[in-house]
Amino acid sequence: MDAIIARDLTKTFHTIARRPGFVGGLKSLVAPARIAKTAVDGVSFSVREGELLALLGPNGAGKSTTIKMLTGILVPTSGEVRVAGLEPHRDRERNARTIGAVFGQRTQLWWDLPARDSLAILRDIFDVEAEEYRRRLAEFDDLLGLSEFWDSRIRHLSLGQRVRCDLAAALIHDPKIVFLDEPTIGMDVVVKEQVREFLRHQVEQRGRTVVLTTHDMTEVNRLAERIVLINHGRLFFDGSLTELRRQFGATWQVHVTLADAPADVAVPGLRVLRRDGPRVAFGPGDGATSTHEALRLIIERYAITDLAIEENDLEDVMREAYLHREQMTA
Amino acid sequence: MSVAQWRVARVTPLGEFAQPARITGTAVRLAAQVFLVVCLWRSLYSQVETSAGLVRDQAVTYAVLAVLALQIRGLDRSASRDTMLQHIQEGTVLYWFVRPIPPRRYYLVRAVGDQLYGFAWVLVGYTICLTAGAVEPPASGSAAAAFAVSALLAQVIMYQLLLAVDLLCFWTLQNNAALTILRFLQNLLSGVIAPLWFFPDWFLTISSVLPFRYTLDVPLSLYIGRSPLSDTPRLLAIQLLWCVLLAGLTRLMWRKAAGVVTVQGG
Repeated sequence: MDAIIARDLTKTFHTIARRPGFVGGLKSLVAPARIAKTAVDGVSFSVREGELLALLGPNGAGKSTTIKMLTGILVPTSGEVRVAGLEPHRDRERNARTIGAVFGQRTQLWWDLPARDSLAILRDIFDVEAEEYRRRLAEFDDLLGLSEFWDSRIRHLSLGQRVRCDLAAALIHDPKIVFLDEPTIGMDVVVKEQVREFLRHQVEQRGRTVVLTTHDMTEVNRLAERIVLINHGRLFFDGSLTELRRQFGATWQVHVTLADAPADVAVPGLRVLRRDGPRVAFGPGDGATSTHEALRLIIERYAITDLAIEENDLEDVMREAYLHREQMTA
Repeated sequence: MSVAQWRVARVTPLGEFAQPARITGTAVRLAAQVFLVVCLWRSLYSQVETSAGLVRDQAVTYAVLAVLALQIRGLDRSASRDTMLQHIQEGTVLYWFVRPIPPRRYYLVRAVGDQLYGFAWVLVGYTICLTAGAVEPPASGSAAAAFAVSALLAQVIMYQLLLAVDLLCFWTLQNNAALTILRFLQNLLSGVIAPLWFFPDWFLTISSVLPFRYTLDVPLSLYIGRSPLSDTPRLLAIQLLWCVLLAGLTRLMWRKAAGVVTVQGG
């Protein structure tokens, strides 16, 4: 069953363009020129219950705006959005009990209060039973190590500590759906891994639906079951990581060192990319398949003494995908 | 709204208790202000018995109560990064829209908490000043009752004015200038700087058609007996009218704000 449905979701912002200079400023005051900017343009996708979806795209692509419409913060200009059967912007209170949200660079905790007091205030806001609250807090402490710093005021916490508290805050009312907008931005690798484990636990053990935006490809690699790519406000890919690689990143190189060094090296279906004496780099040619297949073809034809396989990493794939989209738009 | 949700009102007091230096600072500032105000008004009255229809003790009481009242006129939460302007500029206002309390109710509950905390300061300050003879008790039992009702309505007007200026941020993404103007007008036209009775008639006329006078001067004038008790129904009716008008305005602004909410920076 779908936990989230977005159909033709569009958001257009209207801003006033200020003309340069003093005279321009006066003109803008008297006759302001309004500019319409479409941040999200007819985006449609759905997320199944218990699925972790990565919503990806370059800066300014429209990811955060999409998340803000899905959470009910922004009112869509047109289109339809359903989250757990509710229209988030029309039914904000009921929607709030169904979802949790973390916006990585922004905290919902109170700056001058110890983290534990902030969490207790959220317990009151969400009407969480005392016993439930204690149980959940203990669970979050186990997974995120909150008790090391929860008696410190939020203003004194490091970014990693603060975001861990924000994650606990977002889940304190046990929401079925969680929106995470760049939750690990600026964190060190150790804390990032802790947060990833926490998210994996929430999806696999608690069955929560998670929508995640991030620029961290390791995170995508380790967590995402499905990827939706957005650029210039438009959705241009919706599928699994494997499909994404197949579509935008089916490039690899097989580096071999040949036992003999024949004058000509050729393998049907493969392309010789470079050659330096006995060292040859093969890439996919016409009808090329996987690296395994390539390896089989090379070994059938030549004796080799050394071998290395180099696949495009996810960042390369994403770069390829974004560039592909840019070219399509151009 | 549940009883538990009203506990959100404790955010500001908890933040203050977490920093004893702030409490000490407020106590020292308040004591110094009251002391100086008492000295100033007593010295101004050293050559005269009555001025602007006020005897010395009435004027001193008015001025001291005005200083104490500043404690409940909306605390400055900027040090706690908790003003509406900061929430809008930093984008944290978005969390107000993903909680099961509507933003306007959350704002109200926080304001109630702030004002109750401020009221505790007023109560302690008032008791000390009364014991020390810096302020006189109310002119009569009826004056005390009229003052209590009027002070409550004054607080509602004050809340609505501050809220309207805060809500402007949703459109302008700035309210520093509006807040500065509001604070200046508020202090000038409500009697914080000096009791309004000392100003010329035209000034009183202007202040009577604006809401600011009804946030402080009216309840204080009833307290010290400068406004006759027979005027109470009329004054309370005007205060009530301002409450209704401003409540209508701020309700409309909230409704529009929810539709135009934008969050800075991605």
